[in-house]
Amino acid sequence: MTADRKGLEVDLVHFVQSRGTRYAKATLQTDLLETGLLDSLLLMDLIFHIEDAYGLRFDSDQVNPSNFRTIEDTVSFVLKQKSAPQV
Amino acid sequence: MKWPLVERPTPNAQVPLYNRFYLHASSASQADPLLVWGTEIDADALQTFLQERNRGGRILVTAAHALIRATALALEQHPELNVRLVRRRIYAFRNVNIRMAFFHRRYSEIDLLLIEDANLKSLERIALEIWQRMLQAARGEGGRDRDLARLRRLPAFWFRQIVRLYGFLDRNLKLPTFGRLDGTRRGCMMVNDLSFLGAPPMRMYKPTHFPDKSDSFNLTLGPIEKKVVTRSGQFVSATVMPLFLRADHRLVDAQQVGRFLAAVRDHLSNPERLAGGYYESSDIDRAIVQKLKK
Repeated sequence: MTADRKGLEVDLVHFVQSRGTRYAKATLQTDLLETGLLDSLLLMDLIFHIEDAYGLRFDSDQVNPSNFRTIEDTVSFVLKQKSAPQV
Repeated sequence: MKWPLVERPTPNAQVPLYNRFYLHASSASQADPLLVWGTEIDADALQTFLQERNRGGRILVTAAHALIRATALALEQHPELNVRLVRRRIYAFRNVNIRMAFFHRRYSEIDLLLIEDANLKSLERIALEIWQRMLQAARGEGGRDRDLARLRRLPAFWFRQIVRLYGFLDRNLKLPTFGRLDGTRRGCMMVNDLSFLGAPPMRMYKPTHFPDKSDSFNLTLGPIEKKVVTRSGQFVSATVMPLFLRADHRLVDAQQVGRFLAAVRDHLSNPERLAGGYYESSDIDRAIVQKLKK
């Protein structure tokens, strides 16, 4: 899947919202950490959804709060990783 | 190969008399040595602490990581709980290792991980190790995952024979640990974080005992709930989390259980006490070497 910002935003918001009624109101700017929406189950699912769909690979030190605070932050992180030269 | 237990068992004279009644009871007595103590922690303080750590931190920390660190610090304070039974003898563990259950995404089932020397490690270091293991498990890349895959392929008959033989040896002999499958036996305390979003309020929880008897204690953190509590004589709305400890009366009595649980509760309700420990692995190695020299 190509990773343009708009498409990525729509995909990740839909992915989070589809997890149940508690997540239905999640938006791009919802603070997933402060609202307590981001638990380890959602985090792992989100990481592997991104890995499968966009061909990225997360390292444990990238499980950084600044990369997952909001969906917008995650989108920015994914785009940054995609544009970085692969080692 | 590692030897998780000290060489000699706790002398009989140091084991409280009532623990010895349970320890030496015949199976015909059908005595149930399980003790369960439930309490609550102040989740407001813990949540605020975690949110602050996550605002500027390098690694995402959660209540599960705080639970591991709090349990390790409490075990350090109460080494009489850092023990396990082998036959009818009590052996202390050499290190404060904590095992944790986690959701193995690849197989959609629960697996265990072990945080070694958790009392020496910082919250962030513990979090890093857990995320590392969870990512590895979800990809099926770790050595443990390959071993578990081999174990799954065993026919039921041979699986049963191996589990029974290993269980018998482990209950009766002070075994070393050899590899990745038995490595989780190197800790007496198993922690469960069942505070995931959507979990129902927890009023009572008694986790089962592992058949190999290596998990002497189990500490489970339940989901957050809003409750009316008194603070400075005023009724206020607060968030709390239930905490249940399952213990073995052959190893400890209710007073020791209560003291230990109070220590864990104290650390979690005053989470600034969870600070400290070592982040870089080289520092951890140095600290462990120093501790072993002592």
